[in-house]
Amino acid sequence: MTALLPPKARAASPAPSKRPRRAAGRHGSGLSRLGVQALLWVYAALAFGPLVLVLIGSFRPNADILREPVGLPDSLNFDNYARAWETASLSTYFVNSLTITVASVALCVTVSAMAAYALSRWRFRGRALLAALFISGLMIPAKLGLLPVFYMFQSWGLIDNRIGLVLLYAASGIPFSVFVIMGFMRGMPDELEEAARLDGCDEGRMFVSVVLPVMRPALAVATVFQFAPTWNDFFYPLVLMRSDDKYTVPVGLTRFFGEYAADRATLFAGLVIALVPLAVVFALATKHIISGLTAGMSK
Amino acid sequence: MRRRYRPDRTPLGWIAGFTLPALVLYGLLIVVPLVTAFYYGFFRWEGTKQAEFTGLGNYQEVLTRYPLGEQIPVALWHNVLFFVGTMAIQNTIGLGLAVMLYRNPRFKRFFQAVFSLPYLISPLIVGYIWSLLLSPSFGPINHILESVGLESWARPWLGEPDTALPVLILVNAWQWIGGPMLIFLAALGGIPRELEEAASLDGASAARAFWSVRFPLLMPAVGVITVLTFIGCFNIFDLVYALGGSDGGPGGAMDVLGLLYYRTAFEGGANAIGESSALAMMIFLVIFGVSIALERVLRRREVS
Amino acid sequence: MIGRRSGLIAALGTLALAIGACSPGASDGGSDSGSGAGGDVTLEVWGWRQEDAAAYKKIFATYEDANPGVTVKYVPYKADEYDTILRTGLSDANGPDVAQLRSYGLLQPLVASDSVVALDDEVDALAEFPEATLDGARGVEDGKVYGVPFALQTLHVIYNKKIFAEHGIEEPETWDDLNAAFATLKGADVTPLSATISDTWMLPIQQEIFGATTYGGHAYLDRMLAGQASFTDKPWVDSLTTWKNTSQYWEANFQGVNYADAQALFTSGQAAAFPGGVWELAVFSQANPELELGIFNVPPPPGAAATETLVPGYVDGSYGVSAKSPDKEAALKLVNWMASPEFGQAFTEQLRQISAVPEVVPTDELLAEALEAYTANPSPYVTYAYFSSGEPTAWDLASEGLSKYVLGQSSAQEAATHIQQGVDQWFKPKP
Repeated sequence: MTALLPPKARAASPAPSKRPRRAAGRHGSGLSRLGVQALLWVYAALAFGPLVLVLIGSFRPNADILREPVGLPDSLNFDNYARAWETASLSTYFVNSLTITVASVALCVTVSAMAAYALSRWRFRGRALLAALFISGLMIPAKLGLLPVFYMFQSWGLIDNRIGLVLLYAASGIPFSVFVIMGFMRGMPDELEEAARLDGCDEGRMFVSVVLPVMRPALAVATVFQFAPTWNDFFYPLVLMRSDDKYTVPVGLTRFFGEYAADRATLFAGLVIALVPLAVVFALATKHIISGLTAGMSK
Repeated sequence: MRRRYRPDRTPLGWIAGFTLPALVLYGLLIVVPLVTAFYYGFFRWEGTKQAEFTGLGNYQEVLTRYPLGEQIPVALWHNVLFFVGTMAIQNTIGLGLAVMLYRNPRFKRFFQAVFSLPYLISPLIVGYIWSLLLSPSFGPINHILESVGLESWARPWLGEPDTALPVLILVNAWQWIGGPMLIFLAALGGIPRELEEAASLDGASAARAFWSVRFPLLMPAVGVITVLTFIGCFNIFDLVYALGGSDGGPGGAMDVLGLLYYRTAFEGGANAIGESSALAMMIFLVIFGVSIALERVLRRREVS
Repeated sequence: MIGRRSGLIAALGTLALAIGACSPGASDGGSDSGSGAGGDVTLEVWGWRQEDAAAYKKIFATYEDANPGVTVKYVPYKADEYDTILRTGLSDANGPDVAQLRSYGLLQPLVASDSVVALDDEVDALAEFPEATLDGARGVEDGKVYGVPFALQTLHVIYNKKIFAEHGIEEPETWDDLNAAFATLKGADVTPLSATISDTWMLPIQQEIFGATTYGGHAYLDRMLAGQASFTDKPWVDSLTTWKNTSQYWEANFQGVNYADAQALFTSGQAAAFPGGVWELAVFSQANPELELGIFNVPPPPGAAATETLVPGYVDGSYGVSAKSPDKEAALKLVNWMASPEFGQAFTEQLRQISAVPEVVPTDELLAEALEAYTANPSPYVTYAYFSSGEPTAWDLASEGLSKYVLGQSSAQEAATHIQQGVDQWFKPKP
């Protein structure tokens, strides 16, 4: 599994954005620089264009879209939004998604941090085996175990229960989180715990007061990587949830899609409503997400 | 091996206290279900009722029944094509974007943000969005092609067996391109500039300098990306389901292992649990085995 | 910190327990909030038609008024995911009390797992239902009836009366009329037929609509069931050709057109006709209330086995009782009511569908026309209804095979072979 682990942990190295910005002029002429800028803008248009098409569509009446697929709206018409908001009861789904995602990510990162710490800093028999067991989970298609999970939950009364989903998501995030945090901890100098130990702290105190603060970048990476897939998953809640008021956003949306398959305008509006919170989170936290992703992926 | 500061061995209680919560959660909800699925696969099922033990009967049934037995290698082949295509397109473009951003850091943060934005959208929604956009009757994309004089390019993108899989690869790349880009960007940032400068002083062209000096140093990043891409490509389900339905698009041109499992498990007959569990085990072995092998090969190359 | 040895043992204990509890049969527990001690009962009725929620509320209100203390709640799920959800939902007491069951082969897994209750001795009114209708709710193994059929679906060419009138076209009486009509429309730059291609479940439906007369409907089916004819014989293969020959009248780039797009082409007035089920009528009028709709069926082409214009139809689904329902008595009573003309009449009025209850005549004119035509010259939905009780089902095979066929990847003969080869693995003819 070690190829997945960093050859030498580079977590402490500065994020690339902090590098001096001097070098740009060194490579090539001004003309090619312009060309590079142009290419970047073209790709930005490709990345963003589809979402703009959806946004424009969400303001047009359905009949217009059917007649003329591309075109600007005559006016800023929010009818589609009103219809989408009313019928899709997205607000309930949002609260569910948020609760479930936050709880499961918190649980996952907590237990993973503890396990990863123990696995990377303490020596005990079976340590390598345990680490391999966790990390091999990265390659397990966990969804293949859905049916057994269903019956297990049924016998525990966890069907149609948000706690069941939280536990399941937390469990499926453990391999990646352990992997990231272990890699990070291996790069930490041995001196980290020394002082605390000399002060007479026990392992628990030391973990909370010394290790956790140092671990923060790795915890951030694990959080970012857990958040999006958990927020976006539709497979588990589809099978494990029953009542409409416990659905998450993706399941709610598939329902909405079924109902409005023929009404593109309302569909577009529903999509925009679903995407806005993500866009807001992204706008507010771009810096953290990018540096989190960068730090995580460079490892 | 560096020696760490160890006054004495950590007490077992602490080890258990730190590792057990994760182990129990992971063991109970990930490992146990897989083992159980393995066990289910040895029985015949009547709906949700477990019937008699059949040994490898379900495996045999899945592999030999027409047309399922023929669909398995086809779906596996589509996963392979999907992986190869994604490596070639997504990761090459990702590298290109990373190099451009590295050399030309103007608006770098903005571009990084825009390029990785689709990552946050659910694959299911990405699929719905693109199937609306690519619709031959009402989709804006064909319409745009027609209005700029490229009528001959307009086609039922997701309806033709020849274009469906390439479109799937492109849409998938559209969503995930931020990943390889960020990894490469970080890796580029870790390479000392002096190396390349020395090469260009020797008279090598910028391109030569890149390929001979910098690219080899990116190999660890390529390794990580390859393994992650493989796992992603062989687990794909949501996006294909949204683009082509559970049949895998026109004439099954986008049929992949994930869909095959879905159909056997959730659209199958009375013995769906037995057959899908057997299929799940085979898929698991392929993904797990190849990941390990891939990872071994890459590690060896890295060392040499 | 949990820690310590006891923690480890406790954890292992849980693990062992989990493995033991994993067997699906292990649980029949769970308490249903609905079964209160005071005699008040809440029955959950699951269904796959979300668009029907409002109508069912009205229908069940009648029942609630007549049966004080009983509350009936219709819980719809998305059609695509319904089968998955139902199969798992029926395996515990928190699932539905009464559920819409798919018909024919799709019902069999639920029968095999004893998830639903046999109704032969529970619902007397079933004796009045025609045998062909009960076929839709029968367990293949034991021949018992597991649900009260609720809807008949018939298949037609649905057309836009205004567009037909504008081009001076009347409902075609002969095969030549049909071709002339489509040619006229095409010449006037109107898409004659809005065909669904990429949602493959619609392909066998269209094949029945255009091909039924070519292979001959029930007469041919009887010979197939007896093992005297097959999918690969000329009449059935020819029915594929008859259907695909109309592709010159399908929309541009039809290969990529899905169900929703095809519906939108028709409701937006860009296509003159839509081959599909009678259930579309309500959907179309809702999408575009100004549409004037008409239906006709495809007259026999030259060389067809049938001389009459056949109307394909089948049982859409039935209402069954969950074996795990804690309120089985109340559920059975509800299902009994669902076999009554009162329910049938409310069903056809509120939902604009054809009720499967005998003697109930739809108030809607088009539905009445559809039912009358079907009763006069019925034809089966062969792949869905009669060859779907084993794996692989002819329905799945036909969806795959016909998809390749319309995309030009295989011939009609190859598509038919695909179906026959799959079905041969389990189908036993009854001579």
